Amino acid sequence: MSLALVEPPRAESDLLSPLLDGLERFCRAEIRALEIDRQAWIPNGVLEGLAELGLFGVPLPAEHGGAGLPLTDACRLIAALARHDRSVATTVGLHLGLGTRGLVAYGSEELKSRYLPRLAAGKAIAAFATTEPGAGSDLSALATTAFAEGAALKVNGQKIYVTNGGLAQVFTLTVSTPGLGGAQRGTSLVLFERGDHGLTVGPEEKKLGLKGSSTTSLHLDEVRVPAERVVGEAGRGSEQLHHVLAWGRTLMSAGCCGTARLALDRAVEHTATRRQFGKPLNAQQVVQEQLALAAARLFAMEALVQDTASLEQQLPALLARSLSAKVFSSVGAGRVTDVALQLHGGSGFIEETGLALLTRDARITRIFEGANDVLLTQIGAQESVAPTARTPLRPAAPPPAAALATRADLVADQVKQFRSALDERYRVGVLREKRLLHRLGAAVMWREALDAAVRRAFTSSSRGLTLAALFADQARREVEALAAEPADFSLVTQAMRTLESGDTW
Amino acid sequence: MDAPVDLDQRIVKMISQLVPVKPENIGRQDRLREDLGMDSVASMELLSMLAEELDLDVGVEDVADVRTVGETIDLARRFLGRKAATA
Repeated sequence: MSLALVEPPRAESDLLSPLLDGLERFCRAEIRALEIDRQAWIPNGVLEGLAELGLFGVPLPAEHGGAGLPLTDACRLIAALARHDRSVATTVGLHLGLGTRGLVAYGSEELKSRYLPRLAAGKAIAAFATTEPGAGSDLSALATTAFAEGAALKVNGQKIYVTNGGLAQVFTLTVSTPGLGGAQRGTSLVLFERGDHGLTVGPEEKKLGLKGSSTTSLHLDEVRVPAERVVGEAGRGSEQLHHVLAWGRTLMSAGCCGTARLALDRAVEHTATRRQFGKPLNAQQVVQEQLALAAARLFAMEALVQDTASLEQQLPALLARSLSAKVFSSVGAGRVTDVALQLHGGSGFIEETGLALLTRDARITRIFEGANDVLLTQIGAQESVAPTARTPLRPAAPPPAAALATRADLVADQVKQFRSALDERYRVGVLREKRLLHRLGAAVMWREALDAAVRRAFTSSSRGLTLAALFADQARREVEALAAEPADFSLVTQAMRTLESGDTW
Repeated sequence: MDAPVDLDQRIVKMISQLVPVKPENIGRQDRLREDLGMDSVASMELLSMLAEELDLDVGVEDVADVRTVGETIDLARRFLGRKAATA
């Protein structure tokens, strides 16, 4: 059966198609995912070849050597790369998003001219470091600190789980900069170079998956850098970080689409050829249902990622939508790879088949770039305080999609009622009911995924409409379950007491 | 109802419990995020605590624009006034 179960969204720029073709040819010839996983290393020739294709400069500004393509195109390329190997896609995706976005969006002309041409050409790789031993999602706990010392900054601290740490020549770090820029406890983005005196890169971490992608710690011991290395306005790091993270999450979500697409293609192929009880696996209703639901979810994932990336010029909307895209795509990639592995039976559990690798590689995406539980709670808090202004889809729907648009509008109404019910019952106190915010956040995420899927179906063939309809049914059920009364929290409290007391049961 | 000075002090004390800054170093102009280092979730939590402690009926949308210590105090004062008027 053809791998093109779902047609990809339309290309957005003329440059994209030749780039995608070149990338596909290169990946088929050069990328061996199982080998990269075994060696825990991407061969230099792979990264050099991708640099020659121009992959490292896709969304970087043309005046500094990049291709100046939109984020939507960068996402398409990262998804395509992830269909061949997720470690490679992560290395490049991180460079394009977290690694360079701060510099591109906020850096002075001097900083940009100094670093971007090399970064765009792939002659230097970028990394981004924010997590610390004592600070993950909580930026207020950052211990890496810079103090002004004449025209320089003196920086001390430590960063962990730095993707591209072992490869990068240029690092953007979140640094606590008390007093700088007039913010008493402000944070700033600061650039460092490999080779800055006092900056050392730790050994490669051994991981469950994404083994070819470099992950190290970073140690800063009395590192002195010129104050010009602060990216943009000092003390504004917290706002800048949200922008940078939004890019990082969107590109990471695109990688999830690539992984899920590969897993689904493999499952479609396997279930068409593997025969059990005298017929191919895909003749079984139970198998058909799992494949169809996985395809519907992937249709929505791809739509939500493209939808999010298209908000590149509308920053507040991009920030909000990228949270949903990140959680939805990471959970979706986990779900689709798991289904694909299951449908492979025992062979799915064998490394040579490649499904185990996809499953291992996908697992981290629910954790890094903002743990999903934290992000869902944030989405819920945002929706509580300032509900998203949503335009109903029905009036803009082409006739074949009218019923589908109505269903999306009904799901949106359900989410709205859920939010109002929480507001009425808890008032501002809802902001401390994190488990409810988490549920509301998840409901918002499903609504956004459904809206994106339905809008994608407006312009796609009848196959798109079918998948969107299947997804609408799934989204409605999920939102209904989320809005239903949650577990009695007093039981949770009692269970926690038992756990903390160490009693057996 | 609290005297104005008491209310200011009470709120500043509440904030100092959430961030590693002493009450005497917290001023009206301080921004909850940039100056006191709260993230968006912590600053929302503060407003929620405030409503509970002062027994105010604050809607969740009312806190959307609160950015500084002064705005937090003003919000509390506004709702205390509303409460007194309807009592």
